[in-house]
Amino acid sequence: MLFGRNKKNPIKIADKGIVKWNYSTCGYCSTGCAIEIGVNEDGIPVGARGVAGADVNRGKLCLKGIFEHEIFESEGRGKTPLLRDNIHDEFKEVEWDEALSTMASEIKRIQQTYGRDAFAIVSTGQILTEGFYTLGKLARGVIGTNNYDGNTTLCMASAVSGYKRSFGSDGPPGCYEDFENTDCLIAWGSNLPEQHPIIYWRFKEAQEKRKFPLIVVDPRVTMLAQNADIHLPITPGTDVVLMNALMHVILAEGLQDQDYIDANTNGFEALKAEVENYDPMTAAKICGIDEDTIRNVARLYAKADSGMNIWTMGINQSTHGSDGVVGINNLSLITGNIGKPGGTSLSITGQCNAMGTREWSSCSGLPGYRLLENEQDRQEIADFWGVDPAFFPKKRGMAQTDIFPAIEAGKIKGLWLVGTNPMTSMPNTARIRKTLEKLECCVVQDSYVDVETTPYAHIHLPAAIWAEKEGVFTNTERRVNITRKVKEPYHNSKADLHIFNALAQQFEQGRKMNFPDQPSEVFEEMKTLSKGRLVDISGMSHDLIEENRGVQWPYTEQQLKKDDKPPQGGKRLYTETATFRFPDGRAKLIPLPFADNNERPDEQFPFWLNSGRLVEHFHTRTRTGKIGNNNKYSPTPFMEMNPDAAADLNIQHQSYVRAVSRRGDAVVMVMLTQRVPRNMVFIPFHFFDCVNRLTLGLLDPYSRQPAFKQAAVRIEPINQEEAARLNKANRQF
Amino acid sequence: MTKVRSDEQKYAFLRDEESLEQNRYGNKINLAENGDELIADALTINNQPSESENPNRYKQHGFYLNADNCIGCHACEAACSEKNDNPAHIAFRSVGFVEGGTYPDYQRINISMACNHCDDPVCLKGCPTRAYTKFAEYGAVLQDPDICFGCGYCTWVCPYNAPQLDPVKGQVSKCNMCVDRLEVGLKPSCVSACLGNALDFGVIENVPENREVAQTEIPGFPTAEITQPNIRFQQTKGAHKEMTRTDTMPVKYHRNAESNSFEPVVDEKAGRDKYWNLKSLLTSHESAHVIFTLFTQGTVGAFLMLFLGPFFAPEIFSLLENADLLLKLTVVIFVTSTIGLYKLNMHLGKPHRFYRGFNNLRLSPVSREIAGVSLFYTGLLGFLVTLLIPFDFIKAFSYAFGGLAALSGLAGLYYMYKLYRIPARPFWDHLQTGTAFFGTMLSFGALIIAAVCVVFVDSSVLDTAIMTQSLAAIMLIGLVIEALGHWKHADDMQKLGNEGAASYYRQVTQYGYSYLLRNGLLALNIGLALYFCVFSIASVFDWVLAILLMTSMLVMSVFGRSLFFVLVIPTTMPGAFFWKNEGFVDHARETGLADMPQVGVVHERHHAFKVDELLKTIKENSLSDMVDHVKWIFGYKKGH
Repeated sequence: MLFGRNKKNPIKIADKGIVKWNYSTCGYCSTGCAIEIGVNEDGIPVGARGVAGADVNRGKLCLKGIFEHEIFESEGRGKTPLLRDNIHDEFKEVEWDEALSTMASEIKRIQQTYGRDAFAIVSTGQILTEGFYTLGKLARGVIGTNNYDGNTTLCMASAVSGYKRSFGSDGPPGCYEDFENTDCLIAWGSNLPEQHPIIYWRFKEAQEKRKFPLIVVDPRVTMLAQNADIHLPITPGTDVVLMNALMHVILAEGLQDQDYIDANTNGFEALKAEVENYDPMTAAKICGIDEDTIRNVARLYAKADSGMNIWTMGINQSTHGSDGVVGINNLSLITGNIGKPGGTSLSITGQCNAMGTREWSSCSGLPGYRLLENEQDRQEIADFWGVDPAFFPKKRGMAQTDIFPAIEAGKIKGLWLVGTNPMTSMPNTARIRKTLEKLECCVVQDSYVDVETTPYAHIHLPAAIWAEKEGVFTNTERRVNITRKVKEPYHNSKADLHIFNALAQQFEQGRKMNFPDQPSEVFEEMKTLSKGRLVDISGMSHDLIEENRGVQWPYTEQQLKKDDKPPQGGKRLYTETATFRFPDGRAKLIPLPFADNNERPDEQFPFWLNSGRLVEHFHTRTRTGKIGNNNKYSPTPFMEMNPDAAADLNIQHQSYVRAVSRRGDAVVMVMLTQRVPRNMVFIPFHFFDCVNRLTLGLLDPYSRQPAFKQAAVRIEPINQEEAARLNKANRQF
Repeated sequence: MTKVRSDEQKYAFLRDEESLEQNRYGNKINLAENGDELIADALTINNQPSESENPNRYKQHGFYLNADNCIGCHACEAACSEKNDNPAHIAFRSVGFVEGGTYPDYQRINISMACNHCDDPVCLKGCPTRAYTKFAEYGAVLQDPDICFGCGYCTWVCPYNAPQLDPVKGQVSKCNMCVDRLEVGLKPSCVSACLGNALDFGVIENVPENREVAQTEIPGFPTAEITQPNIRFQQTKGAHKEMTRTDTMPVKYHRNAESNSFEPVVDEKAGRDKYWNLKSLLTSHESAHVIFTLFTQGTVGAFLMLFLGPFFAPEIFSLLENADLLLKLTVVIFVTSTIGLYKLNMHLGKPHRFYRGFNNLRLSPVSREIAGVSLFYTGLLGFLVTLLIPFDFIKAFSYAFGGLAALSGLAGLYYMYKLYRIPARPFWDHLQTGTAFFGTMLSFGALIIAAVCVVFVDSSVLDTAIMTQSLAAIMLIGLVIEALGHWKHADDMQKLGNEGAASYYRQVTQYGYSYLLRNGLLALNIGLALYFCVFSIASVFDWVLAILLMTSMLVMSVFGRSLFFVLVIPTTMPGAFFWKNEGFVDHARETGLADMPQVGVVHERHHAFKVDELLKTIKENSLSDMVDHVKWIFGYKKGH
């Protein structure tokens, strides 16, 4: 209109014709954002937005959530069950009855031939809690294999293990509101802006309202590290040493909260004796953080009125993952920073329902944080399900990372993978490939038929995705939130709950037991089983959850009866003295001696190999790799490398190289940046046939979680045309 | 359309209570006073009248980026693309970064950038179709893809890479400021989506709550002088002395110790080795422009000589009075010109909308160029027709058409030169563009006439010597002008230090041998032209030299003009490693990664001339509509 123009051009703005918004909870990470999916007149999902009134995300979404409506119709979804006798044959399309009866007869055959535990189940952190609970019932009560685990072993097992060792139970004690109350935040191996952008925003909002120091422990200069008040660029795998040194300073200078320690913990003396060995000068030589900084950070943290520790895979995915979590708990306990506003030890969880599987799937125990090792727990569940308690094993079976070696050793002959993609996600791809080829029966139950594990499957069961189903997720801060069904499952795919129920009917024991069809009925069972437990959800219902945009547990039926409305947020665990989950209510302070068993860089393999997440991708890219507006920010794998190291090897920015480890090689495009030190390279973990061809994945002795982030590689040149061809060939999506 | 939700969060709402009278450029922030006809003219969005109670509706708004806080999470870009339903390869907002320092003292500054809804929107001024409007409402600069014919000129002139030319749809689209959200009091989608508390929006010059400054400088951001952009920054955390780009652009930024601002300098990323790089040089998307500009300059030059020569120097050009030769020459010029125009038109995203090229005669040098060249072509055609009619009275028409062609041809070339004087493209924004263009007009024009004469005229019957020698002299003048321009250009570009110097760096490295060849041939051509000033074509040796000159002229021109187009480096924002990285775009196209739509790179493509759409437009518009349209071009309001 200005510049003497004489006619307004019409304004056209894209109108997707959304007629209805469906309430849901995001199906990517464990932040637990409430999300609304907009559908048009034809019922097709065309838009997404954050729910403005939800306390978790307050209207915000990250780029994955913003485009989550595109995953319903994305490439590579499974349309109908597939079956074949041999993995070298072509699949044939079959109906569900045939697929499930074949599967059941294979399970029976394998169990009869090789024993009950010769059929293993590895599930996920992605499906709805009602599905997890039902899968647990099927696995523990009907199929009866003790080799049943979730892929949370790859991400959260160390947190679970550490919480159990320190507090007597799993269950993160803090909440997002702690950011608004804390006086000092330490982020251990956690890159919120990239991994959990909405949690980052909650932190940023809090920090802008009330400045508090942020300390970031990370060998890489992430955006969080760059924005930290103090960045500790630690030597990989030595976090425990740093923790011990911090405690050394705290105890040496009397900065601990002795009253809290005396009232709430056991084992203080032993801890004190152990940390004596880690004076800052000694520790500095191991962990690479100078002694003055160690003292400075210890004082800053211990003197803060409330101090908060958060961590993610930098801690969990290492050979000392469980110890790292215990170390963080130790730090929190000796400074009295558990269960108080702004004082917590909060594991920032990975998958959308990693918490749900920990609580309800029975994969490392029995529902509601019950233990197989506990006779009363076994009895309760056996009675409730109508199973002979003797049918339950008395000890937890193998973790995912032990199941695969057992297949390798010929002890396990059948494997059912539910919503997980070990060909991309597990360390040492070459070993996993050989392992999968050995199976007599491999069932892949996934929403996508193009997951890289499908080529090793005998049966593929196409599952409905997230909002083609109804049910709940639990997030990092123990908030149960609901996903409503937006549309019918894609083609002939089925909801996981439906698949589990239908498979149960293939077994005599399954037909005797009750497997409710409706997610809300399943939820009622879970409520009953949660009464009086730490994870008490008995006051909740699907409708109440939606009304409140998610409810944090515990929320009991007593609270509901008293009309004690669930708080918006801010619910914590262990707020009262000596209410930890050990019989005496006291948490354990556990000494952590350190021995370095990592594969470290040497002359042959001179670089640390670090791996991690990118904000635009989720896990093995089966979803985000197909959504252009996510994928385009990193459509092919790359490797961050220090320019000074590259200069020595005559490696150019944006050229391809071959990274080689003792396990194999990977072709990546080089991104030269001073974000990584001279002796380290970083490769995102999302890509098939990439970083996990290199990783060693030594297992944590407690959690059995692999150390993805500590291995050694060398960098070799590669013919650029050939590399480009390989790179393209490896990227079907 | 957008509705405010009952539980909408505070951050999503616009909140500007007070604002300044004037912005830092001295322009009024209030763009329309009460009673102004701009206010009377109602706003419609998607054909719906839009009414708003937004008290700041007529104030210039702008984005605010707190680069201290930007984490590069892409939420703004995603929210924008979701809202505007953009495919992966199009983005109205993009985040790039610059980085500096040595581990662990490493720093990355992310920069999120969309349209800056400038006070001086060069896109609007440049667009030949008048697809752009600067609205008094919010000062939004909006573009209508339904008017655009996909020439991409706005993408050349914008220093911030805001307009997006879609190779698939063949049209441009851009940030629309989310005016539908502003109308209901909400901030744009990108701002509401920001997870770093970095992006904000409001009446321009207002510093948001909790922020300290409103700068117009940040490393990587071009000077605000070009367009007076409505963007403000905060970047208070100390940056390193040198900030580099991760994309392939050979540019980095140095902090000027005195002004504390960052200035672009050359980053010799690709070393000092020389290459030919023939494939990307000769097969670029801009090769249509190479042909169009060369052919048009040559034919205008040739026609000027053909038409004016006999007037001003009859003793030299008397040969042209030969009707047969004149006809042959005119046909050659006409055919050459046709090819040039055809190439230009068919490179448009919507070639059947060619007639819209005149819409912006009042502001756009492109419109004027198109008008000039079209009139030249019309005059040329008329002139050719008169040659075919064997009546004496036609002579007057012949002069009229010839005069039209000569004048409009010159005017067309002038605006052709003007349109490349783009401040956001320092490599072009130099007198050399003029010396090259007008030099080509002389050298190529003379070459066309000389070649036709030499081929068609039997020199044993007619004496061609004086004319060919004179033409060689004109050619020599043209070539010398061009050479001087190149010399000065090379010198000036190196001194510039900015994207111009980066272009020069590429010229002498990535295209080093091609550049040397161009220079060598230019010298050779000057030598040969000099030879033919003195000697007429008499021997076999002369013929060999003549053919050599002809070939060498062609090769030199193609190389020279192609270099002109491929080397230009705009003052656009820094990209990321994959996204908005020219190097990765090329790689994805070469290796076939671009075959997958989710990679976010698409192949360049040609677009069909849709005759049916053109016929439909003709059918749907009455003669009076067309008259109204012409009036509109000249500033009359419909119905007034």
